Amino acid sequence: MDNQQADNNKPPRVISGNFGGNRVESRVLEEQIQEAVSRGQRSLEIQAYGQHGIGGRLWRAGAEAIQIKISGHPGQRVGSMGFPNTFIEVLGPASDDVGWLNAGAEIVVHGNAGNGCANAMAQGKISIAGNIGARGMTMTKHNPRFAPPELWVLGSAGDYFGEFMAGGIAVICGHEAQSADNVLGYRPFVGMVGGKVFFRGPHAGYSQTDAKLMPIADEDWNWLTENLKAFLQRIDRTELLKTFCDKAKWQLLVARSAQEKVSSPMRSMPSFRTDVWEKELGQGGLIGDLTHLDRTPIPLITNSFLRRFVPVWENRKYAAPCEATCPTGIPVQERWRLIREGRVDEAVDLALGYTPFPASVCGYLCPNLCMQSCTRQISALAPVDVTQLGQASLKAKLPDFPPESDKKIAVIGGGPAGISVAWQLRQFGHQVTIYEVAKGLGGKITRQIPESRIPQKVITEEMRRIEKVIPRINLQQPLGAEDIAQLKEDFNFVVIATGAQKPRRLPIPGSERSVTASDFLEAAKANKTRVGKNVVIIGAGNVGCDAAAEAHRLGAHKITLLDIQEPASFGKERQVAEAVGAEFRWPVFTQEITETGVKLTTGEELPADTVIISIGDVPDLEFIPEAVVTENGFVKVSDNYQTSDEQIFAIGDVVRPGLLTEAIGSGRIVARTICDILDGKRPAIAKRAMIDRQRVTLEYFDPRITEFADLDHCGSQCLSCGACRDCGICVAVCPQAAISRKGLENNNYEYIVDENLCIGCGFCAGACPCGVWDLVENTPID
Amino acid sequence: MEPERPIAPSTLSVKDLPWQILWDLDKCTLCGKCTAVCPVNAIELGVFRKRILEPPTDITQETVTDFRSYFGIRQKTDPAYRCVGCAMCTMVCPNDAIVPCRTDESDKLKFHVDQGGQPRRRGGRRNVAGGVLDRLKFIRISMLTDPALDAGRHEFELRTLLGRVLPPEENLKFLSANGWIPPVREIYPLIIGGMSFGALSPSMWEGLQMGVAYLNEEMGMPVRICTGEGGCPPRLLRSRFLKYVILQIASGYFGWDEIIHAIPEMKEDPCAIEIKYGQGAKPGDGGLLMWYKVNKLIAAIRGVPTGVSLPSPPTHQTKYSIEESVAKMIQSMYMAWGFRVPVYPKISGTSTALAVLNNLTRNPFAAGLAIDGEDGGTGAAYNVSMNHMGHPIASNIRDSYLTLVEVGMQNQLPLLAGGGIGKNGNLAANAAALIMLGASGVQIGKYVMQAAAGCLGSESDRCNICNIGLCPKGITSQDPRLYRRLDAEQVAQRLVDLYLSFDTELKKIVAPLGRSTSLPIGMSDALGIDDPNVAERLKIKYVV
Repeated sequence: MDNQQADNNKPPRVISGNFGGNRVESRVLEEQIQEAVSRGQRSLEIQAYGQHGIGGRLWRAGAEAIQIKISGHPGQRVGSMGFPNTFIEVLGPASDDVGWLNAGAEIVVHGNAGNGCANAMAQGKISIAGNIGARGMTMTKHNPRFAPPELWVLGSAGDYFGEFMAGGIAVICGHEAQSADNVLGYRPFVGMVGGKVFFRGPHAGYSQTDAKLMPIADEDWNWLTENLKAFLQRIDRTELLKTFCDKAKWQLLVARSAQEKVSSPMRSMPSFRTDVWEKELGQGGLIGDLTHLDRTPIPLITNSFLRRFVPVWENRKYAAPCEATCPTGIPVQERWRLIREGRVDEAVDLALGYTPFPASVCGYLCPNLCMQSCTRQISALAPVDVTQLGQASLKAKLPDFPPESDKKIAVIGGGPAGISVAWQLRQFGHQVTIYEVAKGLGGKITRQIPESRIPQKVITEEMRRIEKVIPRINLQQPLGAEDIAQLKEDFNFVVIATGAQKPRRLPIPGSERSVTASDFLEAAKANKTRVGKNVVIIGAGNVGCDAAAEAHRLGAHKITLLDIQEPASFGKERQVAEAVGAEFRWPVFTQEITETGVKLTTGEELPADTVIISIGDVPDLEFIPEAVVTENGFVKVSDNYQTSDEQIFAIGDVVRPGLLTEAIGSGRIVARTICDILDGKRPAIAKRAMIDRQRVTLEYFDPRITEFADLDHCGSQCLSCGACRDCGICVAVCPQAAISRKGLENNNYEYIVDENLCIGCGFCAGACPCGVWDLVENTPID
Repeated sequence: MEPERPIAPSTLSVKDLPWQILWDLDKCTLCGKCTAVCPVNAIELGVFRKRILEPPTDITQETVTDFRSYFGIRQKTDPAYRCVGCAMCTMVCPNDAIVPCRTDESDKLKFHVDQGGQPRRRGGRRNVAGGVLDRLKFIRISMLTDPALDAGRHEFELRTLLGRVLPPEENLKFLSANGWIPPVREIYPLIIGGMSFGALSPSMWEGLQMGVAYLNEEMGMPVRICTGEGGCPPRLLRSRFLKYVILQIASGYFGWDEIIHAIPEMKEDPCAIEIKYGQGAKPGDGGLLMWYKVNKLIAAIRGVPTGVSLPSPPTHQTKYSIEESVAKMIQSMYMAWGFRVPVYPKISGTSTALAVLNNLTRNPFAAGLAIDGEDGGTGAAYNVSMNHMGHPIASNIRDSYLTLVEVGMQNQLPLLAGGGIGKNGNLAANAAALIMLGASGVQIGKYVMQAAAGCLGSESDRCNICNIGLCPKGITSQDPRLYRRLDAEQVAQRLVDLYLSFDTELKKIVAPLGRSTSLPIGMSDALGIDDPNVAERLKIKYVV
């Protein structure tokens, strides 16, 4: 290109920005300048009239230097996009954005420059012989392929100097600064990421997060002094060099590296807490004066006193359902435990502490409320068979009885209730005397219950054991009201246990043709009665069922039980009656008993050779003293069976009709009440609450077991509700190994928790087969 | 439940519960941490029986049947022990074997949480997600029309005024006539709303106060925090930090004798006094701090004996008309600090807000009006109050502001908006929207609980058990075993973080609007929404 062979000695060409009194458009002036350069012109004098961007983009000169001298008033962006080898000299002040996007030009301004000086400059040098406006040296870059750009300012920088500065070197000499107290302007270097700035004179702060002051190293100082000289030459102010060479006046500011910016200059919160917060408020902060509780942070999972929950080994705190529902109060699960431990004899003997009839009642006659309530039932598992244990109790060994005290108690009635209270009182060591109107003890058990339900030898055996224990038994002793008064004189207490002897009759014609169930059963048992072919039993309860069984034994062909509602009979009695083919009819209402049968209100007549009335018995209360209040034909008693006469108690069917076990249980309660009174204590029948069955775990048991081979099998399948089986599952399941078994005296043991290990997860309570472990809230802290 | 047992109407299965525990037998290591941490005992170790059947490949052989049992985590179905979905179990599980999942349908439990005739009560927020605030857009982006502002580089004046700002001529008149002009505070527009010491745990309360002090003293941000009703610790009352505190007086008047006793010893005046008449979460309902939460500490601060239930009735007992309520209370509270402290009422969002506002405009003492919208949170309320009572904040604030504009008092009586700001995490956007609708500042509560303390609550009815003192994060519990899980210092740090980030976000919103010299209060030309009805109602632009 010929322009490259241009002659540098050519006289400068003058281009005026004013043509015939009119301002030449920036576009036209630019064309003229570019054309001159391409024609080889290397020295230009521009008489500026506010044109934009003068002196930039002169690439057509290639490696040759171009001198541009600008007089007049250049417009914005002098030397913008300037190329290397372009040398621009503005003879007066310059407007905004001097050297904008400068890519190599050297620009000298012999006056002040406006805002945005050197904005986005990447190469080249700008020298300003005065002050600059706002946002100087902003967005500058340093491309590693080239030398860094430089901005030299004789005076001071305007506000927001060096924003987002990303490279290059600025030198602010601070000579005759616009504001003598601040040569860097307001808020300089926000967002600065690269480059450095030498400045001479005071400043009023800068962005500490972005920039930092550095000591001026020798190398820097050498560079500065050397280049200062050149700068002052460019602006014709060399006389200032000596003044400027006082190193003490200069400071160097550089961008912080990205890594340095990460470290925040903020005070740490712990330091604030200690040095500001607590210093003002006092030790312990906001509430240090109100509480001395430790408030330091704790983890989510804690132990010891910081656990929210604590496991408790509540062995035997609650009664098993079997025990809780047994009116006699026999701890059935305890007996199975003894069986499991191989202590069969003890398991058998234990019952005699609670009942004189463990074999007859538990083994045969009781509907076994214990089994009905067995926890196994809630999961449809077969209840543990307690009758096996009951029947085995025939061989139970009598405990040693204490010697008799001088406290005397009279028991009127030798049936199950009377025997029970006497038996218990004897165990407590008191003198007991039984008065019985019949020839022998035992009441209903011995006289009325058919042998189909219980072998005679079981009864005989148990009665013999009873007679051995109770020394004073007066048989065939009918008592009147006056006798009771005498008994009150002679004895400390009197217990009425006369039962319900008087059968209820039907107020219908022909009633006299019927026989009462109790008379019938008693006679049948003694083999002193007969029945016809057709037997109608009015009243289909359990006694009616017993009568049906006996009628069958005595030869009846057709047995019909009548009831006015769905019969209340249940259990073994019902099963036996059904087994002998008895027909149950209900609801039917009897109108009359004729010679040939039973006439119903419907007009139907059932043929009957024998009619048995079995609609219940009521007590005979004729002998009861007036002081003893009765209600609806029964003696009225308190919760512990005391009558309105404090000296007299009443138990069994004379109080309310019930099961044998209830009669026996009431005897136990009265015996203990009397003992308490004799001991001068307030009578309290302390009964343990029944365990919540939900606590017991059934999943350890095989649901397919429906029958139990023997006592050992029964014992193994008992859930042991509320009583520890010593199985050790808790020890195994504890994730913290916090639970251990501790042996105690007499083969006893307990399970204990190491609170320093326990986290209160409750696994022990969840896994315990017996529901012994519970998880309770820890003691509140405050 | 036991399959052999009869069912009751309220017998529920896991499927019927709102939260179902998914537990993985293979992953579980049976460490007990999940059951130990569960705040409501919803899970326990279960013993499971499993039948193993092994049919033979040879038909002449018998099929072997065997029972095994194994341990696992069982979810309780009793409504009293229902899972609340907090997922603390997941947090402590070393093997990621357990997680509660929200039911895929409307749960059945909601029909049975009224056992004993007691309707459901809970803490938290309205179980309704979304809201109009999130849908408001800032549509006026200045690039060339106004000086373009750089949020990161420019300086912004983001403070607001709390107090009665009288016009200059009236101020002069006032001064010459009374020798007094109403006090005005220059504060940060994001205010921490009233949450009492008692509703919050000591760790949480101290953490918030410490964070506020830090923001003021280290960051130069004049952030203010309201005490809520429950008094103020004596040390705080006697410290210089009191100037960062807005003391609240509400219908229970708890702790006020302690505050009165402290007046002679105060180094600084409090920032302001807020008279609480209502709360957005449970409008028209009061509060009851149960006796078991009133431990020594709470009792000392509230000035009551321990172990006594503390009722805050729904209404103030000695105020019988709006005129009396406003005039009497404002007057008394001004008097307490020699007329140096601004006093303003706070009401729950309501269609009657304008009546209150109208009254306040005629009372030169009224320093502002705070309105708490239906999306506000609470430590305890009836479910029905929370879910169904109240007024959305957006139109309430807008109506109030436009009323002030109508009477030419929009620069005189600051409105503070509260309730659901940032409920979906968009704190700055919601706050800015309310400011542009006319609020001078906003009050936040739940956002602080979530951001500064890790509250787990959500609109899906997750956790929400603030009312029973079992907060698994220790935010609303008075039990040291729970509140010590929370470190006051970390709460303070998080509060600082959230304020700094809010500050940046707010600038990111106002800078493109070309605002840097003052908060764009009422600058509704910057707001738009893609719903013409909402646009019309709020008198903003409808944009699609």
